[in-house]
Amino acid sequence: MLLRPESGAAGALESYAALVRRRIVFVGAIAVLVIVAFIIDLATGPSALGVSDVLRGLYAPAEAERATAVIIWEVRLPQALIALLVGAALSLAGAEMQTLLNNPMASPFTLGMSSAATFGAALAIVLGIGIPGIPASWIVPVNAFLFAFGSVLLLSALSRLRGTGGDSIVLFGIALFFTFNALVALTQFMASEQALQQLVFWTMGSLTRASLDKAALVALVLAVVVPFSMMSAWKLTALRLGEDRARSIGVNVSRLRLGGLLRASLLTGVAVAFVGTIAFIGLVGPHLARLMIGEDHRFFLPASALCGALILSLASCASKIIMPGVVLPIGLVTSLIGVPFFLALVLNRREQI
Amino acid sequence: MARWLVCWLALVAAAGGSVFSPAVAEPIVVTDIAGRTVTIERPAQRILLGEGRQLLALSLIHSDPVSILAGWPADLKRQDEETYARYSKKYPGIEDIAIVGQGSLDTFSIERALAVAPDVAVFSGGYGPSVKSTDIVSRLESAGVKVVFIDFISKPLENTAQSLTILGKLVGREAEAKAYVEFYNRHRQRIADRLATAKPKAPNVFMHAHAGLGACCNSPSRTTIGAFIDAAGGHNIAADVLSAPFGQLNLEYVLSAHPDIYVGTGGVHLIGKGGLVMGPGIDLTRSEETLADVVAAPGLSDVAAVRNGRVFGLWHIFNNNPANFLAVEVLAKWFHPELFADVDPDESLRELNDRFLPVPMQGTYWVTLTPSREAPDAASP
Repeated sequence: MLLRPESGAAGALESYAALVRRRIVFVGAIAVLVIVAFIIDLATGPSALGVSDVLRGLYAPAEAERATAVIIWEVRLPQALIALLVGAALSLAGAEMQTLLNNPMASPFTLGMSSAATFGAALAIVLGIGIPGIPASWIVPVNAFLFAFGSVLLLSALSRLRGTGGDSIVLFGIALFFTFNALVALTQFMASEQALQQLVFWTMGSLTRASLDKAALVALVLAVVVPFSMMSAWKLTALRLGEDRARSIGVNVSRLRLGGLLRASLLTGVAVAFVGTIAFIGLVGPHLARLMIGEDHRFFLPASALCGALILSLASCASKIIMPGVVLPIGLVTSLIGVPFFLALVLNRREQI
Repeated sequence: MARWLVCWLALVAAAGGSVFSPAVAEPIVVTDIAGRTVTIERPAQRILLGEGRQLLALSLIHSDPVSILAGWPADLKRQDEETYARYSKKYPGIEDIAIVGQGSLDTFSIERALAVAPDVAVFSGGYGPSVKSTDIVSRLESAGVKVVFIDFISKPLENTAQSLTILGKLVGREAEAKAYVEFYNRHRQRIADRLATAKPKAPNVFMHAHAGLGACCNSPSRTTIGAFIDAAGGHNIAADVLSAPFGQLNLEYVLSAHPDIYVGTGGVHLIGKGGLVMGPGIDLTRSEETLADVVAAPGLSDVAAVRNGRVFGLWHIFNNNPANFLAVEVLAKWFHPELFADVDPDESLRELNDRFLPVPMQGTYWVTLTPSREAPDAASP
């Protein structure tokens, strides 16, 4: 029990302050774990470069041997950074969507955003359809981003046709999911064997497409989106009490939803564009955060982002360790580790989320 | 009276038939790559191909390969427009061959395949039906179509000669097949013998498959196109860590393995995708430029072989092509330039074109990046 009934208002305030302190400590602790995971990720790889070599190479790149500097700056650092950033982006998107739609199954993946992104990528890979004038190596990410973003615009347009109920958005999202999957299957059917292989690899997700400028772009999107998310935090918390109650205290729910979905689509679009589809982060990250922190979105949102970053960072380590020298697609790893983990979470759940 | 006449005519016809074409009565028995024994009554007249690109194998031994095709998938037309156009020019009938699929197993239509009434189906894995496609095989066989497996892709170096021999028997061109097999074996033997006697130190080779396509570094292990590395006296660094036939190497592993030689593979399927463009109808300059672009990518440009200027490009489609001995010759020359100083793959290609191919292979099938080109700031002349 956190609230002691015998204490008065002062006692309640004090225990609330304690609760806030505890949540801050929790968020801080996850942040520390994320940093540790990031360093482990940086220190993991098929060549014998340990933590100290990596840190020295990062601190003083000019002094490091050329091969070492290349391994650190061109291979390990971009991948480790993009794992953190994409994990955070997908998980934050999932957290907002779960609240906005009042549905624990909502995530960028269950509502068709990633299927749309895959379709965009498939158009580029299989049929060579893309925005003219874009360099060859950017056609696929740009297509993926545009389709993920476009799918959310479609989703909100559809939902405005028929009120703004969270459930109808979820149903529309599922319809989009199946539609885009069917379209992807259609392009696969038309694809040559080589294009098909490339598409399959793309959909399995990979951090090896990372580069420092791509990581910077994801960081930029996060930096733009996070302040807006945090500004909406109390409204999101109010929404957890129910749509009617939120309305009664002055929250414009449909605007909140539209803004949140746009943020989620930006985050998902940029993440999926650079690493392909990585399942489960957007679903498991928020649930993990909620179990530890609860519903107060001032803490829940950053905790979700950090949990996502942590999971993807650890998955990145695993993908390098399982078969040394070979890269396992990261989407495979998150799904294989994510599924049992997710099941354990659901089975251990004591109360309704 | 009329009946007697018919009988007499029939007798004469039978006698005449046996005199003028004695082979008719002799059934043809072949043991295919899958170890199945297949008997056909006479040389195949209506062949169904599992992969359109095996037209090239047929053309090595048959002067009019299009005339004996009843149906094929559209892979050659879709994926190698240049070659298709050249064949089409020489054999206009190519347009009339029935299309039974788009060049993938999923689009292979058994109904269309049966509708073209083939006498023999020749399957070769790859884009088309393989030994595992039991449904397709059993349906064809129950309709009386013989199914024969050949292979140039899964074990290219072991199965190429046998596959040509099988094809030669099937289409009644045994002598032509024998001539090609002798030519092929002579070229293979030249490399193998010299490696066996000289026993040179095998350089570490990094083969970058479909170079420039997607993230680095897709690489074959010991099968498919990777098989040529061992045969040419190289050591494939992917074979040390890959258990699957194909996989994505960690760029860090490639960097730390310090390969002596970089071989990118490419083809026309990489046009517009930022990859190495090579193959039929592609000029040398374009291949050189795309290869230079590929190895200029961050990380890749620091691989030891690239820094030391030992960068080469190979046509990927040698992975499913009866002329794969050319790939072995080229690789051997790159790996051991002194040992194979007298081997001239260009001359071998010329001989292949002159002696065997009705439609010659023309284009860029191998390319060496000259050191001046790979310097990132060097202006190309």
